[in-house]
Amino acid sequence: MGLIVRTIARTTIPLIGIFGAYIVSHGHLTPGGGFQGGATIAGAGILFLIAFGLGEMKKHYSKSLYSALEGIGGLAFLGVAMLGIGTAFFYNTLWHSGPVLNGKPGTLLSAGFLPIMNLAVGLKVFTGLVSALAAIALWRRWKE
Amino acid sequence: MNGETILPYLIIVPLFGAFSMPIVSLAGRKAREAWAVIISGITLIVGSAVFYTVYENGPILYTLGAKSPFGKADFPIRIVWEVDLLSALMVLMVTLVAFLAVVYSLGYMKHDTGLDKYYTLILILELGMLGIAITGDLFNFYVFLEIMSIASYALVAFRNDTWEGIEAGIKYMFVGSIASSFVLLGIALLYGQYGTLTMGYLAVKLSQNPTVVAKVALAFFIAGLLFKSGASPVHMWLADAHPAAPSSISAMLSGLVIKIGGVYALTRILFSIYGASISMKTVGWVIIIFACLTLIIGNAMAVIQTDMKRLLAYSSVGQIGYILLGIGIGLAAYGSRTGEIALAGAVYHTFNHALMKALLFLIAGVVIHELGTRNLNELSGLAKTMPKTTFAFLIGAAAIIGMPPLNGFASKWLIYESSAIFNPVVGAIAIIGTAFCTAAYVRVLYTFFGKPSGKAMNARDPEATMLWPMIILVLAIIVMGLFPWQISDRVMIPAAKALENQLGYVATIMGVG
Repeated sequence: MGLIVRTIARTTIPLIGIFGAYIVSHGHLTPGGGFQGGATIAGAGILFLIAFGLGEMKKHYSKSLYSALEGIGGLAFLGVAMLGIGTAFFYNTLWHSGPVLNGKPGTLLSAGFLPIMNLAVGLKVFTGLVSALAAIALWRRWKE
Repeated sequence: MNGETILPYLIIVPLFGAFSMPIVSLAGRKAREAWAVIISGITLIVGSAVFYTVYENGPILYTLGAKSPFGKADFPIRIVWEVDLLSALMVLMVTLVAFLAVVYSLGYMKHDTGLDKYYTLILILELGMLGIAITGDLFNFYVFLEIMSIASYALVAFRNDTWEGIEAGIKYMFVGSIASSFVLLGIALLYGQYGTLTMGYLAVKLSQNPTVVAKVALAFFIAGLLFKSGASPVHMWLADAHPAAPSSISAMLSGLVIKIGGVYALTRILFSIYGASISMKTVGWVIIIFACLTLIIGNAMAVIQTDMKRLLAYSSVGQIGYILLGIGIGLAAYGSRTGEIALAGAVYHTFNHALMKALLFLIAGVVIHELGTRNLNELSGLAKTMPKTTFAFLIGAAAIIGMPPLNGFASKWLIYESSAIFNPVVGAIAIIGTAFCTAAYVRVLYTFFGKPSGKAMNARDPEATMLWPMIILVLAIIVMGLFPWQISDRVMIPAAKALENQLGYVATIMGVG
């Protein structure tokens, strides 16, 4: 892409990333959440891929790292779902009796395990979408 | 042993295995394979434990998020899992065949790349099927149906360097997504009309106020789920998907996916949700008509195939016809002894067919692995060079035709007997189907017993990881064949009764019983 596009991308990628992180972390307070925020951050990744091209993307993208991070996102979700397994699967023990995240409803540190799950889903969606797009971009050329 | 404490691990263990697979595979190939075997082995243990508890203590009700499905309301607000004897039987079947398919994959998939994705997908496929079997919530059912379907689309097209893998994958995915969206549309209609998604409570609401919307939703469910089970007008995906998939996956697709996602889900919706609010006789006859079509078309098409796996795939279509016939008679003759026997036969045949068809597909995989072709005309005389495989095939083929000392006999007998009592014409159609089926398998026997061809001379029996799953399945078929009526009386007829007993299903969740 041209110079203007690259310069704009340099300024907007951090903004999109921050906005996506905001959506993920405020999932229990405002509209949005893990999927929406994760997809927004993945949008920043795709903008990077399009503006700077495949060569630059290859330098910054590692398949095993993204694939492991996606697994970690899933594991974190499963892990917090199991915290209250003594009562039931998905029992929100952090909200009912947990040491943290049981603040006054409406504040950032409320809602029990929901913020952790939003972060986990956000991580999984971001890494998954970026990996999928990178894999498609790296696919063999049009003709063989 | 407490069923409620152990049930969630049926979902947790495969989910944990699938999510941690990308991290474990960083440690290399051996770690990944060992991990897949360990995870599916633990799932098998959990599945057996669940089956044992349900068999001993009756149905389990599990609520996600709290102790009780009711909050401060007097109707269920949380997702529930409800496992009666039929679900527990399906759980046992899924965990057993999935474990054997994973073990088999160690040898069979040795030459393929991208195996970290393969083992993740196979665990997700198992997870989706277990979820369908245990869930008592209609939307939860849809989510697990999609998990299962999407994992199977990806696995059918797993060998993406072959044209047939891609072609079958695309065909399966396009029509499969339409079928899934039918199910979703049905669920949306029901939710709009009745405002609940819990199966047990929905049954109550439906019987209080049967509407046209409910009937339209039922039509969508039947259409979508008959597709998933490979019933006749919409069986075409199956004949492409089974040959194109790796054989370990064909064994799971044919043995499990079409039964859990199709037949089991259909019976659950027809009996447990719609049981009291529809005309059983009408719906039963609709199912019987599709079953008869499926029986004849599936088995007749199997006779003329030259591709070994395609033959087995059409035979699966034919066998689904028997299962649907049992269910259809169970509906049309609801409440009578005939209906109960037919339903028990259908349940029994579901379990038996999972074992035998898994065995036959694993054998087909061995043949392809050793000889590199699955064209029946090029193969003959494998009995000399592959004696153990030949013996396993003989057992599998005899069982699927329904030879008396093996397990297929009892289940087919229950279906023949009840269909002959119910309606002699339907009984005759069932017999014709078996005649075609026998002809098809006798043709394949020539592959094994005949003059050895050039290719067959260099073949050998497969290595241990591929041989042992086959041996276990052969043993299971023989042992189940030795006690057919005991199994039928102790497990299959109670399972069919549990399915027919809609009041019991509702009472379990609503806390009355």
